[in-house]
Amino acid sequence: MRKTNKTSMIIAAIILVFTLLVAACGKNNNAANSESPSQSTDPSPSVSASPSASPSESGDAGAGASALDDALAGKFKGTKVTMFGPFTDADQVKFEDAIKDFETKTGIDIQYEGSKEFEATISIRVDGGNAPDIADFPQPGLLGNFAKSGKVIDVASFMDGDKLKANYNKSWLDMATMAGPSGNIMAGIWARSSVKSLVWYPKKAFDEAGYKVPQTWDEMMALTEQIAKDGDPAWAIGIESGAATGWPATDWIEDIMLRTTTPENYDKWVKGELPFTDDIVKNAVKKMSEIWLNKDYVYGGKKSIVTTAFGDAPKVMFDNPPKAWLHRQASFITSFFPQDLKSGVDYDWFYLPPIDPQYGNPVLVAGDIYAMFNDRPEVRAVMEFFTTGESIKTWIQSGGVIAPMNDAKPEWYTSDVERRMAELAKNATTLRFDGSDLMPGSVGAGTFWKGMTDYVSGTVDLDGAMKEIQAGWNK
Amino acid sequence: MRRKSRRTGSKTVVNLVLALICLVWLVPAFGLFVSSFRPATEILKSGWWTVFPHKENVTKDQIQLPKDTDLRQPIEVNGNKYSDDELRSGVKAPDGSRLIWENRRARTIDVQGSGWKMNTTFTIENYKGVLTGKQYKITDSDGTVKTKKGNGLSRAFLNTLTVSIPATLIPILIATFAAYAFAWLRFPFRKTMFVTVIMLLVVPLQVAMIPILKDYTSLGLNGTFLGVWIAHAGFGLPLATYFMYSYISQLPKDLFESAFMDGASNFTIFTRLILPLAVPSIASISIFQFLWVWNDYLVSLVFIGSQPNVQVLSMKIADMVGTRGNDWHLLTAAAFISMLMPLAVFFGLQKYFVRGLMGGSVKG
Repeated sequence: MRKTNKTSMIIAAIILVFTLLVAACGKNNNAANSESPSQSTDPSPSVSASPSASPSESGDAGAGASALDDALAGKFKGTKVTMFGPFTDADQVKFEDAIKDFETKTGIDIQYEGSKEFEATISIRVDGGNAPDIADFPQPGLLGNFAKSGKVIDVASFMDGDKLKANYNKSWLDMATMAGPSGNIMAGIWARSSVKSLVWYPKKAFDEAGYKVPQTWDEMMALTEQIAKDGDPAWAIGIESGAATGWPATDWIEDIMLRTTTPENYDKWVKGELPFTDDIVKNAVKKMSEIWLNKDYVYGGKKSIVTTAFGDAPKVMFDNPPKAWLHRQASFITSFFPQDLKSGVDYDWFYLPPIDPQYGNPVLVAGDIYAMFNDRPEVRAVMEFFTTGESIKTWIQSGGVIAPMNDAKPEWYTSDVERRMAELAKNATTLRFDGSDLMPGSVGAGTFWKGMTDYVSGTVDLDGAMKEIQAGWNK
Repeated sequence: MRRKSRRTGSKTVVNLVLALICLVWLVPAFGLFVSSFRPATEILKSGWWTVFPHKENVTKDQIQLPKDTDLRQPIEVNGNKYSDDELRSGVKAPDGSRLIWENRRARTIDVQGSGWKMNTTFTIENYKGVLTGKQYKITDSDGTVKTKKGNGLSRAFLNTLTVSIPATLIPILIATFAAYAFAWLRFPFRKTMFVTVIMLLVVPLQVAMIPILKDYTSLGLNGTFLGVWIAHAGFGLPLATYFMYSYISQLPKDLFESAFMDGASNFTIFTRLILPLAVPSIASISIFQFLWVWNDYLVSLVFIGSQPNVQVLSMKIADMVGTRGNDWHLLTAAAFISMLMPLAVFFGLQKYFVRGLMGGSVKG
């Protein structure tokens, strides 16, 4: 009798714990679902802690004084605006320096919180109802998910459209427009940008060796061959980046795509309408392989491309004598260069030359978009402030960032190297955003990275790699 | 006699095996320690073991080839022909020396023989950067450059202590109460409740994160120390309860009976008898819980965040490498600094640790 009693109790306990587990897991699944892009197509806005901006609000905000004017008049003194983003350390110091003036003028306290785990944490916070007032997204694709589920405030509802049009290149505004639960919304504003179509070279040694900056792709290949004959591999390439290994390769493909096909095809490709298995994409990969898979052209040969960290790759250019001479990477790479080097003297960049003259001078960019999760007047004011070049003025002066706003003055850039980048982006015939950041995570931050890594390391051939990448769209 | 010698013999074997295991476990930590004193450029060039004397190919002589040597044809060096690939990876010449490119551009070849070498470039810059914070150069609007100092680890170190100590004491205190009740008090559903607590051991804490975060948001506990104390206490309770139960339930029954006879209440028994007797056990579970909380990243990431006034060490260290990981070389030094506290706790409580591990294993 006693024994059966005991057993039944244990069974009861097991059932109890099991229900607990199932309940807990169930909740977790829901949370995961709302994060994944494929599941969030449901147009009904999910429960959101933030009051979503209704269209009726847009009228009164546009007509009267803007929130920014109110803020500068001191109306929001003593309020707090929380901000969450991926940049930490030196970037955080520069950011805080840039907003200090605004904070003392308006009395609004902008509390910035930086985390290396931004991408993972922001989803948890938004789902947990703990969204920051403003979040800084380095990948618009991720923001797109939140826009779709109706958790992001439409900034067009209170900002002056004409002002935005005057201060941003149209491509930027187009890229900020995303699908909301009911129609398109402007999901955020571009606050910082970086230019990607750059080839870095050790200027001093480069000039001493008598090399000339190439103006066309053919000239660049001739230079590569010349350097190889002289005894060095021309290119320093590394794509290792922990779990993100492979992303520098995707930048190459995007840059070459812009140079070998029309911008329309590029857009189709980014949206998934032009498959990776198409000859246009394959052609771009082949073009890249001419450099990457030639052991005389790449430092360490192709086997070291996959194992070299992207940040360590350019360092061999600054050995004496240089072990490699060219390195294609975005503007941020200078923070990985040895610290005693002078920009414009020891190193410089040239524009990755066009391949086919009919596509003009396309430029690949990336950037950070600030999105708003809670609609309060002081948050509006801060968002408006971020649309002005003034908001990153000191950051521009200390280097490492290019302003997407038109009212940022060229003389703010303290080095010629960065001023030329800003000009390059301004004068580009085609400006396109980093494609892999726009694609859904399963491709842009998944199979695209992995497929390129597999292709370069030689475990699959070109057709196999393209099929592998394309499979990410079906996930 | 014979038996004794056999015993010492087997003891030596056991000691040898243990020493070997210790060595295997220590090598990575030691490598990290050596690396923490090496400059970043050196770490990229050579492994940490090269700080010890080792045999390496040492250049004895150099050969200058004609500048117009075609690198894609077999290359003639001292009358022998080699391919470019051979010269890149090093090739044995007939006289036993090794030929390798010194500079392909200048067409110079090193003639190497083997010799002893050690790398002795050390620096304390890594520790300086970690402890006092990095220097940032910021250009002012008028063009002057000012140096700004970043935050060091000290604030995060204190924050981590603020999190760890209560997050260790709270669950262990509750667990000890609970263990006493489960072991010696009679109340309905005692067994069921105990089994439930034990079963919670298998529930991964990750599944509870978002629901708890939602509750915290409505209670306003996010980003506060109180919130993370409660979270750690909750996650740590099942193991601590089970651990304390196994020890307390093995205490001799007569002890409690006689205490009862003398009129002691449950509380008196707990404070006067259980707590002093359970010290070894409490100490060892404290080590476990403290180490877990100290090294925790996930719970702090979700419930505290990285505002500088509450940010804990593990997150600060991760942030220290910079937005794009450009300062990875600081990790080695930071890891060692964060290890200091757990080491101190471990060695301080170590003598209880061994006793505590055996707690409950032998009756009586």
